[in-house]
Amino acid sequence: MEIKVKNEGQVCEVYLIGRLDLASGTNLKEELKKIFDQDKNMIHLNLNEVEFINSSGLGSLVSIMKEVRLRKGRLTLSNLASYVKEIFEITQLSHIFEIYETQEEAMSSYQSVTAN
Amino acid sequence: MIKKEFVYKSISESENKMLDDVEMFLDENKISGELKNRFMLCVSEAFTNALVHGNKLDPNKEIKIKYMLSNTTLNADVIDEGHGGVEKVNKRKRPELLAESGRGVGLIKHYSSSFVISENEEGGLQLKIVFEINKERVNCT
Repeated sequence: MEIKVKNEGQVCEVYLIGRLDLASGTNLKEELKKIFDQDKNMIHLNLNEVEFINSSGLGSLVSIMKEVRLRKGRLTLSNLASYVKEIFEITQLSHIFEIYETQEEAMSSYQSVTAN
Repeated sequence: MIKKEFVYKSISESENKMLDDVEMFLDENKISGELKNRFMLCVSEAFTNALVHGNKLDPNKEIKIKYMLSNTTLNADVIDEGHGGVEKVNKRKRPELLAESGRGVGLIKHYSSSFVISENEEGGLQLKIVFEINKERVNCT
């Protein structure tokens, strides 16, 4: 899996490309650790180009979410393919993740929270 | 009946190779869309179970996968070299919402037409995943 990070503004944008499984999930957690080490706790994951995800990949996302919560931050996801969304629903993870249809919607949600 | 068999070392790098192989097998046989995604997911979950729980990532142990395709079914047998565990898998409960593992068997049960766990003659675990398919074996979107 390829992981692209755009770490410029208040929210760190992470783009995932390829398969999210056991090995790539571990890589993703390591990549996110580098971001946390920079005291960033607002993370957006764009899953537009995730072509495959399994329960190990889901586990890595849960682990990242728990870390974000510990750091009193926020994690959002967007652009889930329909079958990825279905897996989130079956496993009920759709109840605990903040999922947006598009990245723009996710980003605006950060702005409205800041404005409030 | 089309059959294909693959053998992998029990190392985490094998997962990607296994996914390449199952994808190639499905593409060669013109299986795409939802059926492809769901079958790949189930095989992947069974493989991870064999790798982590069965063979405990021991590089000296192997995982065998046998694919069988007929006009009505698409099957995968995933066989490890561990020490049983049928009851353990059968008794596995739905994980807590914030658990980082334990969702694989539930996903296999959800998507497959049938799912059978047994111990083979050598004592390892064999997970048989069956998908019933239509005769055309094509794009099930």
